[in-house]
Amino acid sequence: MATRTQMPSNSSGLIAMIADEDTITGFLLAGVGNVDIRRKTNYLIVDSKTTVKQIEDAFKDFTTREDVAIVLISQYVANMVRFVVDSYNNPVPAILEIPSKDHPYDPQHDSVLSRVKYLFNTESVAGDRR
Amino acid sequence: MGEENEATNTQQSTTVSEEQNETALNFLDSVDTYLILIESLTSTLRQGWLELSSARHSMGGSRLNTVLLSLKHHSAPTTVELDYDNAGSMTKSKSTQLTLSKWKSSDKKDSTQESNESEATASPLKTENHLQKERGKVLSMFGGMVSPKLRASQLSFETALETLVEIANVRSSILEAHRALILHKG
Repeated sequence: MATRTQMPSNSSGLIAMIADEDTITGFLLAGVGNVDIRRKTNYLIVDSKTTVKQIEDAFKDFTTREDVAIVLISQYVANMVRFVVDSYNNPVPAILEIPSKDHPYDPQHDSVLSRVKYLFNTESVAGDRR
Repeated sequence: MGEENEATNTQQSTTVSEEQNETALNFLDSVDTYLILIESLTSTLRQGWLELSSARHSMGGSRLNTVLLSLKHHSAPTTVELDYDNAGSMTKSKSTQLTLSKWKSSDKKDSTQESNESEATASPLKTENHLQKERGKVLSMFGGMVSPKLRASQLSFETALETLVEIANVRSSILEAHRALILHKG
């Protein structure tokens, strides 16, 4: 994955979003929408016409931008690009998987919790071997 | 002499073992907090979506549409403040603390006024007026008169943002404790 220039300490960052229309609309109402001089936004609205490539490109773009501190991604969208999401290991921006209106949150697919599960699985295997 | 060395080694291994236990406890606590926050977030988002749907029902689908979103250059009034524990070094595994910064003024005039008044001296009424003004600017994307449900939805999503920032901080703790545990095991 491309590296990004580290944000200076005590700086402010944007909240980027890759989600369905209603979720994006809601968070834009809360004031997180940003449009830069080149008309680049900090969100991608995912609908039936959005391709996996577009989602992947948006994810890579947001995780390499210097001005993004958090990336919100609907879990069902993250599942479409699961390999890319799970291979992301940087602390900033933080990748947060959120539920969507039509797809409830499933802890089995959360990339943070899957690491927890892996840790407990390896512990139990190590315990059995003893 | 040999007995002294053995006692020192035992003491060191006890300390290491206690540290590992503490790391494991912190890890489990963080995971528990993470799950509770996710539950809370789901509930808040559900409320927000419901209010948004109600607003769409009363205002009409054409008025509450992402097509209306402005692509004119504007900065986000709500951002996140980052604070690295160890002066920005990413190589050391220190956690990053995030704090939500809501509704920063988009007007240069207001910004100057705010910088002159410190947070301690600004009256709650002025702060509340400022918040209402900034919220109103965003709502105006969808027209002059908006449904009260849309305003309610705005507040719900603001609450969701606060929860999300907490989740991000807990996530950071989980990943840090996870790294420490893997290191102990290795």
